[in-house]
Amino acid sequence: MNRESAKALAIGTFGVAAAMSLAMIASHVSPIVGFNAFFYGAFGGKQQIAETLASTTALLFPALGIAIAFRAGLFNIGAEGQLLIGGLLAGWIGTRIDVPPAIAIAAIFLAGAIGGALWGAIAGWLKAARDANEVISTLMLNFIAASLALYLVTGPLRAPDAAGPELSLLPHAYWLPTLLSHTRATIALPIALLAAFALRYVLDSTWFGYRLRAAGEAPEAARRAGISLSRVALWAMAWSGALAGMGGAALVAGELHRFNTQLSPGYGFIAIAVALVGGLEPLTICVAALAFGALESGGLALQAAAAVPKDAIHVIEGLLVFALAARRYLGARGAGAR
Amino acid sequence: MLDDVDLTCEAGEIHALVGENGAGKSTLAAIAAGEITADTGTIERSGRIGLVHQHFALIDRLRVWENVVLGHEPQRGGAIDRGAACAFVRDLGERYGLEVDPEAVVETLPVGIRQRVELLRELARDPGILILDEPTAALSPSEVERLFGTIALLTQRGVGVLVITHKLDEVFAHAGRVTVLRRGRVVEERPISATTREQVARAMIGGEIPAIPAHEPTHGAIAVRVAGLAVPGAIENLSLQIATGEILGIAGVEGNGQSALADALAGLTAFRGTIERPHSIGVIPQDRLLEAVIPNWSLLENVMLGRERATSAKASWRIDRAAARAQCTAIVERFDVRAASIDAPLSTLSGGNQQKLVVGRALVDNPAFVIAYNPTRGIDIGATATVHTELLAARNRGAAILLISFELDELFALSDRILVMTRGALRGEFSERRFDREAIGRLMVSA
Repeated sequence: MNRESAKALAIGTFGVAAAMSLAMIASHVSPIVGFNAFFYGAFGGKQQIAETLASTTALLFPALGIAIAFRAGLFNIGAEGQLLIGGLLAGWIGTRIDVPPAIAIAAIFLAGAIGGALWGAIAGWLKAARDANEVISTLMLNFIAASLALYLVTGPLRAPDAAGPELSLLPHAYWLPTLLSHTRATIALPIALLAAFALRYVLDSTWFGYRLRAAGEAPEAARRAGISLSRVALWAMAWSGALAGMGGAALVAGELHRFNTQLSPGYGFIAIAVALVGGLEPLTICVAALAFGALESGGLALQAAAAVPKDAIHVIEGLLVFALAARRYLGARGAGAR
Repeated sequence: MLDDVDLTCEAGEIHALVGENGAGKSTLAAIAAGEITADTGTIERSGRIGLVHQHFALIDRLRVWENVVLGHEPQRGGAIDRGAACAFVRDLGERYGLEVDPEAVVETLPVGIRQRVELLRELARDPGILILDEPTAALSPSEVERLFGTIALLTQRGVGVLVITHKLDEVFAHAGRVTVLRRGRVVEERPISATTREQVARAMIGGEIPAIPAHEPTHGAIAVRVAGLAVPGAIENLSLQIATGEILGIAGVEGNGQSALADALAGLTAFRGTIERPHSIGVIPQDRLLEAVIPNWSLLENVMLGRERATSAKASWRIDRAAARAQCTAIVERFDVRAASIDAPLSTLSGGNQQKLVVGRALVDNPAFVIAYNPTRGIDIGATATVHTELLAARNRGAAILLISFELDELFALSDRILVMTRGALRGEFSERRFDREAIGRLMVSA
């Protein structure tokens, strides 16, 4: 964790605590009572901790993916769509194969990664071949992904036994083993942590990671040194999508045990905040994901116990991203003007 | 950065401030102009002190008149009076020989014209003292003459002009007094009439100037062959050849197709025609900070740029950090790059030391073909001597070198042959080191 990302994390933590206190006071709740409810909801017992860890996992995969794209200088807003397509392919594969559970789980994650990678690579290809702005294309691909998924689950792929628009249930043997029994905390968490370490290794120690960072940091110098910016854009977006897609697979195999269009309540968007608060450093992002995971589960408890709407938590998260983005932007501009 | 510096600039005088990169010249200028604050000491001024930066501080997307009047716009009925602003810019330009179209957008203008805009912006605020930081770094010889013409007009009107420069020719041709800074201290201050070039140069570097090795023509076989080269909008039907062990100098005013030529030869732009050149190539780009380095990264990571895949590590995906460290250390030692450590951010180095690293990176593998584009732009005497020595050493090892430079002195010192580039075409050929400064200068400005 470098100094810059540690600073971002500290600012984020204090900012959120201060904003939460204001939200509680505005709802006529003593911050002491409020924080008590919040921390109980996030860490109060086995079930609460498991909920926090489940949210952490769901945020960590797409946040790592977003970090890859951002480090390459690409503003990937499309993690939500990549997660959805990854989940769709994972949920479909899971109902189509008949293999030993370990292999099935590996296949489900692989399918998630491939689905997400293909969806991310569309935006990467548009950038590389047509110089299409990736903010617009990834944002729009989210809508296309949602519509495509809805069409498939209501039409061609709809489970015959299903009550609503969804795919069939995965065989019980393919459900992800839990870390804590009878909870939603699964082995997806250690897999995500492994991915974080792997990503750190790739960024720091491989020529691919070096090229990616060089293209993000100084595109003109990188291009003149013989690094193909189009190739970096394509592969960075593909890997970015692959990680988001693995997040979708984790949700399918670990929580819903089937694919439906309600797979993600916006994890792919909150993950942008996680990635930024984590300073785009894989290991710091793990800490940030835990913090946001606690905000998700604690926020729910806060709503139940103290009638502070959970949306207030999302408003706070949004403000946090806004502040960090502004700081980053102004910082860059300041340096450029010198 | 600076230690107990005294400097006086009188009304109506041209005062040259010289010193190597990192000596503290730009810091001193920024303090004098009030852009940064000194820890101790005082500044007395009569009138405003204007500062024209080496890297221009213009707003590229705005028009000339907008840049000039920014902050004190003439108004009429609550709106900016565009007509009055343009007339003001024209009038000011005519008075000081700085003619610019007030309606032109800055980013469309060549460097020499942008500098006029920058000067106009400062002159619009009626300065008592004008500080020019490396004003001639990017100018052609005729533009330099023109600039000093403007400076003479200013001094006639009682403005004191402080010129920060490395170029002793300019100092001795135009300045009345010279101050030498070395490592943040004033080591010499004299009227020009009471000093010599050698004395000032010695004071700048704190010792003798490194000698450039002797220069014997050693022409070999043709290494680079360009025939019928065309780059849309820049070059039409250009042909040239460079032999092994030859430095071909390209003289010319900026913006006559030199960048397109360099990019086509480096394989960075689309072109028509044929280029035959050796595979191993070293490039020293024109714009160090934008095209050559990643300033926030360490020396080590900058040296790896472009060779990140050249690895002897067991796993082919891995970067071989040990080899990279060894190579970086070798470059730092051989090319005399002065840095705290190879893990320090490159931005902490002076421009000259950054450039030595760029040159070292281009030359360390002994490439058969070298493209050097203004390789000593904006760097000091010591670093320039290192770069020149290394380019000549590469040539003596048998490299074919294309040297594009806006400095005739540099071309004369290094080239075996000089061609003049104007409007995307090559004219004249001066060879066997019989270079006619006047004839080359005439060709450069002939359209």
